[in-house]
Amino acid sequence: MTLAEKTAEFEIAAEELLRADLYDMLGALLARPPTPELLAMVKGLSGDASSLGQGISAMARLASQLKPVAIEAEFNTLFIGLTRGELLPYASYYMTGFLHEKPLAVLRTEMARLQIERAPNVFEPEDNVASLCEMMAGLIRGRFGRIADLSTQRDFFSAHVAPWAGHFFSDLEAAKASVFFAPVGTIGKAFMEIEREAFRMGV
Amino acid sequence: MSEQERANRRDFLKLAAAGAPVAAVAAVTVTTEAEAAADQSREGLRDTEMTRKFYETARF
Repeated sequence: MTLAEKTAEFEIAAEELLRADLYDMLGALLARPPTPELLAMVKGLSGDASSLGQGISAMARLASQLKPVAIEAEFNTLFIGLTRGELLPYASYYMTGFLHEKPLAVLRTEMARLQIERAPNVFEPEDNVASLCEMMAGLIRGRFGRIADLSTQRDFFSAHVAPWAGHFFSDLEAAKASVFFAPVGTIGKAFMEIEREAFRMGV
Repeated sequence: MSEQERANRRDFLKLAAAGAPVAAVAAVTVTTEAEAAADQSREGLRDTEMTRKFYETARF
């Protein structure tokens, strides 16, 4: 955590930080096969009786039951695969049926405006679900220079996340290869609903 | 946004998202680039100057 993020924590309300935490977690789980350190953290989580909480508990349980190798294999079957994985977690694909389509171009323009740039060692298109989660978390925490206000967050969310992320998380929940990632889908789906509802209450 | 709306949003988020705190996991997500580059011990394609060059040219 950078110093800027540390100081930002005093300025951001606790419930907004909960959102950033959830986005960060989803981003970490979906960006690459989970590392042993990440899985060790996941094991320690627990949730309440809500569908989000249930998803968290189920994920924590599976993290301690499954072998890391199995989870890595599952990640690869879902997102990498031979020729392609079972799912294509890209905004462009979900919104138009094709990769590298207009939603990606629109996103890149928006990223330039918000001063967000793809890291030089990353080769995924920016409209990957993990990247979008990272961007949402970054906007909330102010990782991109300054803390984004709620209306900026809402505009970014409704343009690039809301139209498709819920569908993707449903697909992830129901995918044939999903075991560990099924509750991740549950969590994502529940969280997208919460986000939508919260933004509707005004910004 | 009025005070009332802000309070609504706050209460809603507290209720909806606080049942599942995940801060511990969020904290490990920010790996520095130095760490990413230093990981040469893994099986599979090595992360070297050459592979980076290749990816650079294959960039879309």
